[in-house]
Amino acid sequence: MKAKDKDIAKFYKDATAFTCISNPATALPIARLNDDYCDCPDGSDEPGTSACAHLSPLSPHNPANGAGAAGSNTTLALPGFYCKNKGHVPAYVPFTSVNDGKCDYDVCCDGSEEWEGVGGVKCEDRCQTIGKEWRKQDEARQKSLGTAGKKRKELVAEAGRLRKQVEDRIQSLGTEIEGSEIKVKQLEQEVADVERKEKGRVVKGSVSKKAGKLGVVVGLAKQRTEELRETLERVRGERDSSTSRLQEVERILSTFKEEYNPNFNDEGVKRAVRAWEDYAARDKGPDVDAAHDRDLDAMTKSDKENGLDWEEYEGDDDDSEADVLYAFESYLPPSIRGWLDQKLRNLRSTLIDSGILADTSAPSSSGDSKSVTDAKDRLTAAEKEVEKHRKTLTEHQDDLAKDFGPDDVFRALKDQCVSTDAGEYTYEVCFLSKTTQKPKKGGGHTNMGNFVGLERIVVDDELPPNGKGLGSGERIAMKHENGQHCWNGPNRSTLVVLACSEVNEVWRIVEEEKCVYRMEVGTPAVCEVLGGGGGRAGMEGKKAGGVRDEL
Amino acid sequence: MSVFNSLSNRWTSFLLLCLAVCSLITPAVMVKHENFKTCAQSGFCNRNRAYADNALSTSKWAAPYSLDPASVRFDKGVLTGTISKKTTTNEIVRLPLTVAFYESGTARVTLDEEKRQKGDIELRHASKAKKQRYNEAEQWAIVGGTTISTGAATSKDAEKGTTKIVYGPASKFEAVIRHVPFGVEFKRDGETQIKLNDRGLLNMEHWRPKVDKPAPEKKEGDDEKKEGEEAMAAGSDKEMAEDESTWWDESFGGNTDSKPRGPESVALDIEFPGYEHVYGVAEHAGPLSLKETRGGDGKYSEPYRLYNSDVFEYEMDSPMTLYGAIPFMQAHKKDSTVGVFWLNAAETWVDITKATTSANPLSFGIGSSVTTQTHWISEAGLLDVFIFLGPKPQDVIGAYTELTGYTQLPQQFAIAYHQCRWNYVTDEDVRDVDRKFDKYKIPYDVIWLDIEYTEGKKYFTWDPMTFPDPLGMNKQLDEHERKLVAIIDPHIKNEGNYPIVEELKSKDLAVHNKDDTIYEGWCWPGSSYWIDCFSPKGREWWKGLFRYDKFKGTMKNVFIWNDMNEPSVFNGPETTMPKDNLHHDHWEHRDLHNINGMTLVNATYDALLARDKVEDKHHVRPFVLTRSFYSGSQRLGAMWTGDNQAAWPHLEASIPMLLSMGVSGFPFAGADVGGFFGNPSKELLTRWYQAGAFYPFFRGHAHIDTRRREPYLAGEPYTEIITQALRLRYALLPAWYTAFHEASVSGAPIIRPNYYVHPGDEKGFGIDDQFYLGSYGLLAKPVTKEGQEGQDIYLADKEKYYDYFDFWTYEGPGTVNVAAPLDTIPFLMQGGHIIPRRDRPRRSSGLMRYDPFTLVVVLGNSGDAEGTLYLDDGESFDFQDGGYLHRRFSYASSTSTLMSEDLAASTGKKTKEYLKQMEKVRVEKVIIVGAPAAWKGKGEVELSEEQGGKSSAARKVALDWHDKEEGKAAWAVVRDPGVQIGSGWKIAFP
Repeated sequence: MKAKDKDIAKFYKDATAFTCISNPATALPIARLNDDYCDCPDGSDEPGTSACAHLSPLSPHNPANGAGAAGSNTTLALPGFYCKNKGHVPAYVPFTSVNDGKCDYDVCCDGSEEWEGVGGVKCEDRCQTIGKEWRKQDEARQKSLGTAGKKRKELVAEAGRLRKQVEDRIQSLGTEIEGSEIKVKQLEQEVADVERKEKGRVVKGSVSKKAGKLGVVVGLAKQRTEELRETLERVRGERDSSTSRLQEVERILSTFKEEYNPNFNDEGVKRAVRAWEDYAARDKGPDVDAAHDRDLDAMTKSDKENGLDWEEYEGDDDDSEADVLYAFESYLPPSIRGWLDQKLRNLRSTLIDSGILADTSAPSSSGDSKSVTDAKDRLTAAEKEVEKHRKTLTEHQDDLAKDFGPDDVFRALKDQCVSTDAGEYTYEVCFLSKTTQKPKKGGGHTNMGNFVGLERIVVDDELPPNGKGLGSGERIAMKHENGQHCWNGPNRSTLVVLACSEVNEVWRIVEEEKCVYRMEVGTPAVCEVLGGGGGRAGMEGKKAGGVRDEL
Repeated sequence: MSVFNSLSNRWTSFLLLCLAVCSLITPAVMVKHENFKTCAQSGFCNRNRAYADNALSTSKWAAPYSLDPASVRFDKGVLTGTISKKTTTNEIVRLPLTVAFYESGTARVTLDEEKRQKGDIELRHASKAKKQRYNEAEQWAIVGGTTISTGAATSKDAEKGTTKIVYGPASKFEAVIRHVPFGVEFKRDGETQIKLNDRGLLNMEHWRPKVDKPAPEKKEGDDEKKEGEEAMAAGSDKEMAEDESTWWDESFGGNTDSKPRGPESVALDIEFPGYEHVYGVAEHAGPLSLKETRGGDGKYSEPYRLYNSDVFEYEMDSPMTLYGAIPFMQAHKKDSTVGVFWLNAAETWVDITKATTSANPLSFGIGSSVTTQTHWISEAGLLDVFIFLGPKPQDVIGAYTELTGYTQLPQQFAIAYHQCRWNYVTDEDVRDVDRKFDKYKIPYDVIWLDIEYTEGKKYFTWDPMTFPDPLGMNKQLDEHERKLVAIIDPHIKNEGNYPIVEELKSKDLAVHNKDDTIYEGWCWPGSSYWIDCFSPKGREWWKGLFRYDKFKGTMKNVFIWNDMNEPSVFNGPETTMPKDNLHHDHWEHRDLHNINGMTLVNATYDALLARDKVEDKHHVRPFVLTRSFYSGSQRLGAMWTGDNQAAWPHLEASIPMLLSMGVSGFPFAGADVGGFFGNPSKELLTRWYQAGAFYPFFRGHAHIDTRRREPYLAGEPYTEIITQALRLRYALLPAWYTAFHEASVSGAPIIRPNYYVHPGDEKGFGIDDQFYLGSYGLLAKPVTKEGQEGQDIYLADKEKYYDYFDFWTYEGPGTVNVAAPLDTIPFLMQGGHIIPRRDRPRRSSGLMRYDPFTLVVVLGNSGDAEGTLYLDDGESFDFQDGGYLHRRFSYASSTSTLMSEDLAASTGKKTKEYLKQMEKVRVEKVIIVGAPAAWKGKGEVELSEEQGGKSSAARKVALDWHDKEEGKAAWAVVRDPGVQIGSGWKIAFP
């Protein structure tokens, strides 16, 4: 900065004449330098007054203001009034603040910008005190930054450890999956075997029951079907009337919402409207659907119309061939019976396989024998396990691929929460998870957005003396979206902007506009990344606001 | 069939769903018409309209009011007499008449009712209401101009059946009073300007006891017609039978008005023969030149209504009532303006019709002329009307404001830029906005707090959670001479442990209900009571509440915003108080409704004066913003047009609305920049700032449900363009302040419509989208339409006009097109003026106090120019002791001399001190636009200053010449003449 000032100073060396810095064609007698009249199109003849303060694209256009001539450079040549601030850090005060009767000690601690004493103002030199205080704070800041830097290292190490864990887990998962897959294959084989075995068995199955029993069952089933149909009809009637009542209520509420006066701010009414809006915005579930209704119509028709004639089943069944086989079998001695049984099973299997006999076991799920079911269960379980492992693997792989910020550092902070009180609420941010608003007086928490990702944004704030602020430059921010829906507004969202700090802490929370929040959060995680930024304190941060000119 | 049915059912439900969804997406943007009465739903309005229809439909209509010639007395400028009204039952009702003639040339006609005046009536429902017609409106509205004329005299040459009074300046005015039927014609130079009761619509509903007639057999469904509609049914068949249905009680929106005094309306027709345009009866969202109101193409079907109301999302181009009422109307024709002021605080409706009279039979061949007929209808009170005969617009406004008071000379900060939002939510939020303005180098003077700063909407408290340190916040603002305006409304929360409400109750200072016990209603805080500022004790108490030790957290840079003072009562009829509520001295609310808002502002104004110690010499002028107002409110502060919307039509409507306020004596007016409801597009916001830079009261405001929109948030190029508009306002503050000073001594509008500046230019009488700033010939026509990039400006005279920003030259008369891309405001300088400016951008207007001036001399056809500058400390009352400077700058082409002369009316004990203070404040630049070619190459001017009454030795100063460029004027700059702004000097040009 000092060097730059020397660069500027060279233009003012000549003791007899002055040449406008950006418009060398314009030369002025030295008396016109700092005479409180703006002569240079770039304002360079008035480094010590406010005479050229109007030279700015922020001022209304005026031919007599730009000092005229087309093509001349009317960008202010100087960043502002130069305050030496001996005993502190030199800085530029905007020209608009020069000789306005107010001491701008925050930028110009030596008070030199009020040299004219307008309105009797006297700005004494406070650089000794201010400089001392600043150095003290700066030292504290530097110290704190040092600590913060260490903490970050710890966090990075922790993150590395966590990453390693994940990598390890991925590896072990690979092995597990392999093992499980083998198991699945084995079990598949087992199921095939069991099934084959089962097919051979001559099964009486459900049809082995006495015809009389079947008749009873059919009778019961008929009765029950009847009951179900009646109930379905009744329930449908009830549904229809509820639907129309609901529609009526919705109509009332939407009229209510349309016609009430939001400006009256009656909390009760507002709450009701809010609740209604939330309700209306929610997925309503399946609407009454014509096809569905037709199905219902069909279902509630009599069974006969549905092609089910109970009478057919109520009479005794004829014996099937299986019965004959069984009957025959029962006359043989047990040992032969065993052998025969096996042979018959094989025969049956062969017959079934060759399509001669109908397979009575396959189509009915209840038809599986216990051994088949068990085998299948074992297979399913094994398959599920593989599935689970694969899922876990994917999760872990995704996790590895995820952006956890530079050096993966946020891995170490994930799900850690910090909060602060502001007004009636406590605001909480959980790293890489979500932001929440909790009323101090009790009551439900409000989700202010779920973490969707990291991004980089440019900030331009003045850093407070304690260093707890964003400063200026590029910063890492956590984006949170799709929080709880806001009355008369969007779903809540929060941008959490991070800057370097010794500990995790929420500095500031603002509702920038309706349900769009911005949090400023300090964390060691972002220290010393993004080119000296992360809210790094120091001269630059402190003075940045002061010397930036309006161009 | 059934399929069809179920299908259509589903369609219905689908449509309903759509409807529901649509209503979620687009907030309801329509005024709730059903919340406000139409004339037909307002008993007395309906009765009087029917009376008019009846009178006008018969050629043999005889108005039943006659002045008894024997009763007429004229003594010392006041005529008295008794008017007899013959009722339908042939009774005679005596109505005392007073016609007063004031020194200013204003005449006043007042009619009362003897029986009520004497209290010789009975009230129903054991009401405690006062029996008289309300006669205290003048105590609130009138502050001067009522010196009785010594020159007024009866004239001998009155025609038979008339009494004639000659009065006014040079006795040019006449009032010809016709005895039977009673009527008055006001003439100027022998020509009739205003006629009272010419159409016989005068109606003063006299007191009568309620006679319980045998109830007419009630038909089924009669009950539903209760809401004022029954009037429609009755009356039409029987010609003279009076419609009594709304005499004794009236219901609207579930509220019943008990009307203990029965029918008591007053109405009068006032005619302006030969006048096509009428202006005034603010506040309405419509054109400056008032429309006809009895139906037809492009006309309203409802009368203009004056009944101060909290109208939610008001509609454009409508005679519907708004927040304030100024029953003052001007009529204008070529080179003549006249006016009337209907002093009545009750609900009032004004019908306007225009009749084209064919060629005057006495002057053959001269074209037809238009006559404007008006019909004024008030629910209660006296008939009290003031007549102004002009002939210039300023004569009428001047006479009206002499009566009702001139605009307060505001503090300078009050005419700079105000940044408001419902709400800045914490003190830290306020500090942050304050810092951001500095950071972005955008000037602003005032930041505002809406209702959320309070603890639970309890006024005079701060929310301890969100505003823990109000004093720290105020001190930060004060560092750059910025102010805070905090809202204080008239409803006081009914809640335990709130000392303010305890005192209000224990001292019995709240408005009462019809049973004469404390009235409870609903507003922001929920259940609330209303301070009755009609009560002297109430006002005294209110005054104490603003003391720094009482309203803790406030300091000298804190000022007040009075909102909701119509009063707005959420659960009341038409969102206001029941008309049978009782105020101090048992006046019914109906009597004084339209004044109610003003009484609160009056009390707040007094409170702000009283909060500083007496020995504190540097009293600061109060600043109070009000939403509700009446004639006279201009003495107390500023008004704004209430809850507008972030929509182009609202931007467009703001200009005629503010022009209307200007010609109604209340020029310190503004509209919410950006629009209150909804989110403006960046283009709209930018255009709105460009227009707002010309609002006398310039405040950005936004509803709590909108996105933040402080100028620095708009982003480029918008922020830059908005900042230019703001800096333009600040650079021109010397001109604005001078215009305000002019308003404060003459009532002149600050932004002026074409007819006011060019009263002879008939083409411009209806123009209300462009205006002049003060007396500076600065003509602006902000862009108010989306995507518009050029603007047609109407130039009324044959004069040169220069573009303010690049000196492009136009010449009138006629319409010229000015390019207006987004970064440009169509803004011209009329030749012949000198405009004072301060070009150095600062953080706030207070920090410009010692900045040098730039004078812009705009030379027109004559080559001469002049302009004035009024300047004082911009905050105290020292100007009343001569602590100000008032200069006249003039350039004479004959002598090529620019000079500064003293215009100060008088000096006082503060004069010297102030001039000493301003000693170093100089003129740094004189820009001459349209400079004579002869100056080219001359390079120098000679100037001399007045020192101790003598001229100093002449010294030479550089003159920079800039040649004419295509389309643009030549201009020259006097480089740093260095002369004092407060002293006399001369600059001799080559």
